[in-house]
Amino acid sequence: MKKRFEVCPAAELPPGERTITDLNGISVGVFNVDGEYYALKNDCPHQRAPLCMGKVTGTTSVEHTGAINWEDNGHILRCPWHGWEFDIETGRSVFNPNKVRARSFETTVEPADEEPTESEADCSSIPDECDCGSSADEPPVATYDVTVEDEMVVVYL
Amino acid sequence: MTRRRTQRSTDGAPTLIDCDIHQRWKDESEVIQYLPDQYKDRGLQAPEILYDNVAEFSRRDAIPDDGSNPGSDIPKMKDQHLDEFGVDYAILTGNSYLNLTALPNDDYAAELAVASNKWAIDRWLSEGGPFVGSLLAAPQKPKRMAEMIRNLGQHPRVVQVVMPMAAQLPYGHEYYWPMYEAAEEMGLPIALHPYTEGHGVTRPPTGAGYPRTYFEWHTLLGTYAMGQLVSLVAEGVLPSFPDLDFVVVEGGLSWVPHFLWRMDKDWKALRAQVPYLEKPPSEYVKDQVRFTTQPIEEPDDPQHLLQILEMMNASETVMFASDYPHWDTDSPLYAIPPMPEEMEAGVMAGNAQELYGLPDDPASLPAK
Repeated sequence: MKKRFEVCPAAELPPGERTITDLNGISVGVFNVDGEYYALKNDCPHQRAPLCMGKVTGTTSVEHTGAINWEDNGHILRCPWHGWEFDIETGRSVFNPNKVRARSFETTVEPADEEPTESEADCSSIPDECDCGSSADEPPVATYDVTVEDEMVVVYL
Repeated sequence: MTRRRTQRSTDGAPTLIDCDIHQRWKDESEVIQYLPDQYKDRGLQAPEILYDNVAEFSRRDAIPDDGSNPGSDIPKMKDQHLDEFGVDYAILTGNSYLNLTALPNDDYAAELAVASNKWAIDRWLSEGGPFVGSLLAAPQKPKRMAEMIRNLGQHPRVVQVVMPMAAQLPYGHEYYWPMYEAAEEMGLPIALHPYTEGHGVTRPPTGAGYPRTYFEWHTLLGTYAMGQLVSLVAEGVLPSFPDLDFVVVEGGLSWVPHFLWRMDKDWKALRAQVPYLEKPPSEYVKDQVRFTTQPIEEPDDPQHLLQILEMMNASETVMFASDYPHWDTDSPLYAIPPMPEEMEAGVMAGNAQELYGLPDDPASLPAK
């Protein structure tokens, strides 16, 4: 069963901002992209760099040679090492979305819980490793819910 | 083959030597103070890089808390990289002002090199600990650089000379030989490091000319190294300076078997053009040239890279490098493919320890 973690009041994480927090021993980056909240493991599947410290940016597409478009501005996270691009909403890489993915978590905005978050939550189901997907048939990533209730950003993992 | 371990060795031989770490100044005034008076007003000028790197040039996570330049904060570097991975020796290779060597004013370029080297010695090598370093040489001014190598090269923690990968003439040319004489005399290997290609007074960044993108420039770093190496072989530098070693930094390495085979094949037919060579060209390279790992190639099957490492006798010729704190840093834990134990020991530490003559215990190396 997924554990609920209150990250911060939603007002403290406005659009375009991020926070990196430790949730029961797992470093997680929580992002506000145009009012929606997303959470990614702070761990690049390539060489395990702190992915969530990278630049939030956009990416390019091309209509025809010499005509490059800028798109998805604010929706792309670029790893601070090696510059790999990931979709913040899904954790999927831009260059190989089905095989190379960062781990993403469910995020919501919910009211603050009267009970404090359990500190002993068992997150052992999240392996402390990364898989760049080079040998896996299935994407190596499970997704997690993240919400915001009564203006608390909440991550489930 | 075993899972790689990185742990500091305190009583035995080093287990991890990082051969390409870029230290930087927080403020240019730190270096300007070492310039001769006639250049102090000019400050530190160097050609800017021509190409835009969308991945950014330095790692965002390497920016110190005070917002200063990545690589400028010793505690941050230790905490984030040296202690994190258990680096026994950090071979400092200077910072991105390597491009000062592409300036047309050879006297100014040479004095910039001297000043930045004095700064590196006072600011970094005097720290002791894991830090050993390089003297940046501006190849435009070989005799002044030879004098500098003999002078500053006496510092116990200066372990090599760094020259830019690109210059005005290929490095085999006799014009540069005064530097080679000095480096050999001082027992200092010469490392070649990219960045200058196409800048200032150097030649175009690729054999095809000026590409449009950083992508093209970076992909072809190895080809520039090939151009310099074949010149060093053919013009007789390696046979003329048998005690001088060269290090190819940041050029990748999977092209090396191709390069060696190609030279040996041509030598059989064209030997008369290169009578300096008394044995196949590949043997000079294997004896006197070392290659650093970063940016390591990443084939889908890591075994393919391992085969290439075997073809180039990596157990004796390859040395680990991270390129910290730049955008294409390679992790000592995750970048290098699984290797047989003996090869791994050589690549991760042994080859660098031997080349640079480093004692087992970094603390035993004087800092002044």
